[in-house]
Amino acid sequence: MEEARFLLGGPQGAGLETAAQVLTTAYAVRGYRVYSMREYFSNIKGRHSYILVRVNARRLPRAPREGPDIIAGLDAESVFTHFTEAREGTILVYDSGQAGVSPERIPSMERELRKRVRETLSRGGYPPTVEGAVTYARDVLGARPLPLDFRGILGELSKRLGIPAFKAKRFANTIIIAAVAGLTGLEVGDLREGFERRFPGRRDVVEGNTALVEVVYDALGDLRGSLALDEPLEPPGEYFVVSGNDVVAMGKVVGGLRIQTYYPITPAADESFMLEAHENLDADGSSLGGVVVFQTEDEIAAISAAIGAALTGARAATATSGPGFDLMVEALGWAGMNEAPVVVTYYQRGGPSTGLPTRGGQQDLYSALFSGHGEYPRIVVASGDHEEAFYDAVKALNWAERYQLPVIHLLDKFLANSIVTLEPPSLEGVRIDRGLLAGSAGPEYRRFDKSGGPISPRALLGQEGVVMWYTGDEHDEYGHISEDPVNRREMHRARMRKLEVAASEIPEEGERAVLYEGGSDFLLVGWGSVKGAALEAIELLRGEGLRGSYLHLRVFEPFPSRYVLEVLRSFEEDRVIAVEANYLAQAARLVAMNTGYRVARRILKWTGRPIYVGELSRAIVRIVEGGSVEEVLDYGA
Amino acid sequence: MGLRLDYKTDLWVDWCPGCGNFGILTAMQKALAELGLKPWEVVIVSGIGCSGKTPHFIYANGVHTLHGRAIPFATGVKLARPDLTVIVDGGDGDLLGIGAGHFVALGRRNLDITVIIHDNQVYGLTKGQASPTLPAGVKTKALPKPNLQDAVNPLALALSSGYTFVARAFAMDVEHLKEIIKAAVKHRGSALIDVLQPCVTYNDLYTTPWYRKRVYKLEDEGWDPVVRDPSERPVKLARAIEKAQEWGDRIPVGIFYQDPTRDTLEDRIASRIPSYRSLPPALQRIDSNGTPIVGERELKAIFRDRLIRVKKHH
Repeated sequence: MEEARFLLGGPQGAGLETAAQVLTTAYAVRGYRVYSMREYFSNIKGRHSYILVRVNARRLPRAPREGPDIIAGLDAESVFTHFTEAREGTILVYDSGQAGVSPERIPSMERELRKRVRETLSRGGYPPTVEGAVTYARDVLGARPLPLDFRGILGELSKRLGIPAFKAKRFANTIIIAAVAGLTGLEVGDLREGFERRFPGRRDVVEGNTALVEVVYDALGDLRGSLALDEPLEPPGEYFVVSGNDVVAMGKVVGGLRIQTYYPITPAADESFMLEAHENLDADGSSLGGVVVFQTEDEIAAISAAIGAALTGARAATATSGPGFDLMVEALGWAGMNEAPVVVTYYQRGGPSTGLPTRGGQQDLYSALFSGHGEYPRIVVASGDHEEAFYDAVKALNWAERYQLPVIHLLDKFLANSIVTLEPPSLEGVRIDRGLLAGSAGPEYRRFDKSGGPISPRALLGQEGVVMWYTGDEHDEYGHISEDPVNRREMHRARMRKLEVAASEIPEEGERAVLYEGGSDFLLVGWGSVKGAALEAIELLRGEGLRGSYLHLRVFEPFPSRYVLEVLRSFEEDRVIAVEANYLAQAARLVAMNTGYRVARRILKWTGRPIYVGELSRAIVRIVEGGSVEEVLDYGA
Repeated sequence: MGLRLDYKTDLWVDWCPGCGNFGILTAMQKALAELGLKPWEVVIVSGIGCSGKTPHFIYANGVHTLHGRAIPFATGVKLARPDLTVIVDGGDGDLLGIGAGHFVALGRRNLDITVIIHDNQVYGLTKGQASPTLPAGVKTKALPKPNLQDAVNPLALALSSGYTFVARAFAMDVEHLKEIIKAAVKHRGSALIDVLQPCVTYNDLYTTPWYRKRVYKLEDEGWDPVVRDPSERPVKLARAIEKAQEWGDRIPVGIFYQDPTRDTLEDRIASRIPSYRSLPPALQRIDSNGTPIVGERELKAIFRDRLIRVKKHH
């Protein structure tokens, strides 16, 4: 088969994140393209988490998709949470020792789910136990149950390694990793490499896990390799195995970031950890410098310190999520007022308030665009996948300095936490653009000199022979406070006009909006991580005779109004569909605001879970063929 | 406006006549001149309100920031250019009210920044509301009723936060304040100077004559604030915190505590990033004629722990 999909579930803290990394690495070693995403509660230990992995022999999967070939549960809760996701042929791996467990005995399960499971099972006349759920999956959905004796397997491991049972138990999560790997025909050595990557220098952990893989492979018997994948087609020589957080960090390093400030918040903090782990930029024995990663006392300090650093000429950024961004807004206005080049990497999660802190969404477009009192220019760019996120991180740093304004780089939890095999990005044509610098300025220097246009030559704090002033008050060209109406008229206009300069320089077509043409039966309009699901849904529907296109919005300020309107008008009005992970269809409304064009059909999802390819395809069909105008999606546990 | 070395700008200083801020401004200008610093090597970072305007009146780099946020802005400047002299000016409301979290955080870090509190016990520019250093029960003239909330002790807070230089001065004794500013700037680490600054318009209790009758200099009484060995730290710190409680008929000014034996944040960063001092973030090259110095090969080298080599098939 060309692709295999698996869902691995278990309690938070039991090693699901490790599973994602080990499996992704193991398949990458063999040349497969892998996409894996992770769902988890705001909890350290005990609540249910799962990963969804897609392994493909030909190309990189772009989004979560229904219909797993394997569902492997580390515990009873995993079975109860996911058994309804089985389809014809899904192998359901579970612990035979848990067969009699009922939802009532699982304190970590949320009440709503417990009730739904009971109802589903009792409607079909199945007992409310793991056994009942597995039987339901077999009888009703066509799944193939694969009970494994976890206790027996761990007992065998303890025997082989000569370690006590309680120590063998620590390797339990590897049972499901090994089951998945064994069914799909991975060699023991491939997994071993995954463990070596995950646990560098910890030989006993690698040995223990590898030994367990062998035990599980034995236990699989004839089923081993029964879901064998096709040999990968033209694999590249190397892959980066990276999350969305990781690629942004890598892009920032290429883009010359030298100070990253942050305050811990999900799902942004991993990016700062990635940077800190690589703070010394050492390549082949020579140092290319260092990135200072600085944890502040709050998000207000994070952005303030980043701005302070930016004024000295260091490329500076901060990374946060919605609640943290809210705190940054006053300082963002200061950066706008003082033409300070700062980058805010903004990972959206489910809001408002604390909301769904570990889940995703696209609810913060307006927050990124309109937050803050007064008017000031900002650039807002949104990434749709890992590759875009990498290049956007470089671009954001360039635009901040070229136009001397804050740049907000929007991502979301879905992208932040999904791990993919990424071919090492080409840097052909990637440039560092530091904008207009006042390298030879002297005592007459005026920081906000607008005589040459809205963008003033920028001197840096500490530059020899030059002094300058900054203030959040309206100011004259020296940076001293001025409330004069004529000065205000000119200064405010000059700041705002920088956006017009940016608009004239950054191409609309291809850079601020991208059209993926596939036919005129329908046009999806989306942004951010909708991209992956949209492109795959279009492809899926092509097989059913429906040919659609996707308009991917990339830069929201300055908005590509001319090009977007041109594209929208080239489709039948009742075939244009907004797709967004929010309630308001924020981007679609923004399109109306900027172009006067109202996108009247929409597919929305705000459960905090990503949009799946299948549910999106079905919703498109209901709109295009069934006359529906709004579809609300809710797939995913 | 040519380059000037007397640290004065030609702006009209728009504080009320007789304001304590004039003393602070003059002391800062003199201190910087006597320290022989070049104006471009100095960055004055302020918060908001009357004291927030200070940088505009000093001929050196000035960053007039947001209410309460002078310390984090200054932190960013200093982290990116540890060789610059960075001084924070803020009011008591700014540094100990809205910005109190940042005030504490700076002490924890011992980053080499000097913080000057313009401490007048009121919010001047908004017409005299009580600030975090105004004691409970007192009623300055703008307050409709006596103050309900008690005062924070800036010195004790700084001492317990980890500042390694803690001093108090009186704005109207410019020579003494100037010497303390010089000592604070020369000190390696986070330095706090709480400056008693009469507000002539809104504070009719803590006036210049009121202070003149009470302030005395610690050094005149043989106070020794300096920690010469880390083992002295607990005792000297406890004594300084005790001394900081003295207020009323006699108000001590001078250096309460100075510990040059603690490493600074810059030291700690340099121990991890060896090039930090010689090539701090702002001075590193990031491109060569527009080409990123981290190219494809360097990217793979730096992030080699994330790079997988695909195995040939059997």
